[in-house]
Amino acid sequence: MSGRRVAVTGLGIVCALGQRVSEVWGALREGRPAISPIRMAGAERLRFRNVAQAHAYDPCAHFDASRIEHMDRFAQLAVIAAREAVRASGIELTPGLRERTAIVTGSSVGGQDTQDAGFVELYQRAQDRMHPLSIPRTMANAAASHISMEFRLTGPAYAISTACSSSNHAIGNAFWMVRNGMADVALAGGSEAPFSFGLLKAWEALRVVSPDTCRPFSKDRRGLILGEGAAMLLLEPLDGALARGAAIYAEMAGFGMSSDAHHMTHPSADGPVRAMRAALLDGGIAPEQIGYINAHGTGTVANDATETRAIRNLFGPHAGRLLVSSTKSMHGHALGAAGAIEAVCTILALRNSLIPPTANFTAPDPECDLDVVPNRARPAEVECALSNSFAFGGLNAVLALRRLVS
Amino acid sequence: MTDHLSDKVLSAVASVKHIPREKVSVESSLQELGFDSLDATVLMFELEKQFQVTIPDDGVRSVRTVADIVAEVSKLAASAPLAPPAAGQP
Repeated sequence: MSGRRVAVTGLGIVCALGQRVSEVWGALREGRPAISPIRMAGAERLRFRNVAQAHAYDPCAHFDASRIEHMDRFAQLAVIAAREAVRASGIELTPGLRERTAIVTGSSVGGQDTQDAGFVELYQRAQDRMHPLSIPRTMANAAASHISMEFRLTGPAYAISTACSSSNHAIGNAFWMVRNGMADVALAGGSEAPFSFGLLKAWEALRVVSPDTCRPFSKDRRGLILGEGAAMLLLEPLDGALARGAAIYAEMAGFGMSSDAHHMTHPSADGPVRAMRAALLDGGIAPEQIGYINAHGTGTVANDATETRAIRNLFGPHAGRLLVSSTKSMHGHALGAAGAIEAVCTILALRNSLIPPTANFTAPDPECDLDVVPNRARPAEVECALSNSFAFGGLNAVLALRRLVS
Repeated sequence: MTDHLSDKVLSAVASVKHIPREKVSVESSLQELGFDSLDATVLMFELEKQFQVTIPDDGVRSVRTVADIVAEVSKLAASAPLAPPAAGQP
């Protein structure tokens, strides 16, 4: 660990649980999942029925028609989350600061909706032309580009795509840029809108989606539930944030990465152990200072047992004192947005001294023998927390956060 | 019918793992043949296509040997045209 301390001074989120931080926190606090039957054409042809969809989201409430035309849903969600984060931070983005502001966004699949609709025209309706906006709407960096234009931010901006770890990698990279002085502000997070028929069929084929709901760490878990949404964090040096009297949500303290070099879909415990250890080391945090882990916790048999093993291997006896919950049980698995959504959940847990539960929990599994905070949020004053993301392809990214009372 | 079906299943198993057909028998366990969970999922995909059946996810989880697969596919093929879709565990 070296360089400047970094504060999170703005949060923004939109997902199945709600369209702003306060709504999402309301649901997390009550352990209220937003998993419901999928609403889309062709849903009856899918083997699974339920997803965590942002049903209440109405693009017209946020953008005029011309902008909507230029933006896939995943980019719209990213901009809405960025707006909330900037607003919450109270930061004045002067021309000089805008040049020193970085944007790093994560997305696994980019503008799926757009691509799917275009291919339907091409293959199914035998049209010979794709819409000219297909490429700018589909590209995975569209979210970063739209955020930069929205706020006229002219510093470094890029997108990271590492499947389910995308936005943890994005936040981690942005954090390091601010810590090392390469940027003075960063907007970082991720967004995903994966509900295109083609992509859902592809997930169906992998046989990892639950037929009912998402029950992480529960004996009778049957798979993940796909989700959508976006979340953004505004990061800035702690000293500067204190000097301008900003409200500080938490300190972004450490970031760790690793790869399993093992299998494209089967998890390993070793890679996650190394990523969590790297995050602790990066943040100068002792394992005993961690009180809460927002788990990757997808709800598949393999992930949850492997993640439990990884946590036990790294933390030893302290694992028994950790609170470990999977908020995917409520907001679903939002793929490239998962890390960012869960970073928001983790920060809110630290700030409010209340750990959101693992919802839908029915029965303990000896292979997941951690305190998974079943079904009810638990009051706990926690000093530091980890937020885990472990992607298909074996790419792991872990954020370490510290509670700061401003 | 079952012999013919077994034959096709054995061929599919060999083809998915790119191993010689003669190395696969109904007694073979998928683990011995080097199948992991992703290979097994690909095999189910090939069998669903070939036999026009829907193999439930719970069915996939319970198969250990080639004989288990033959039994599962025979059962589903007998109740054709199409088994109701049911999903579950990977």
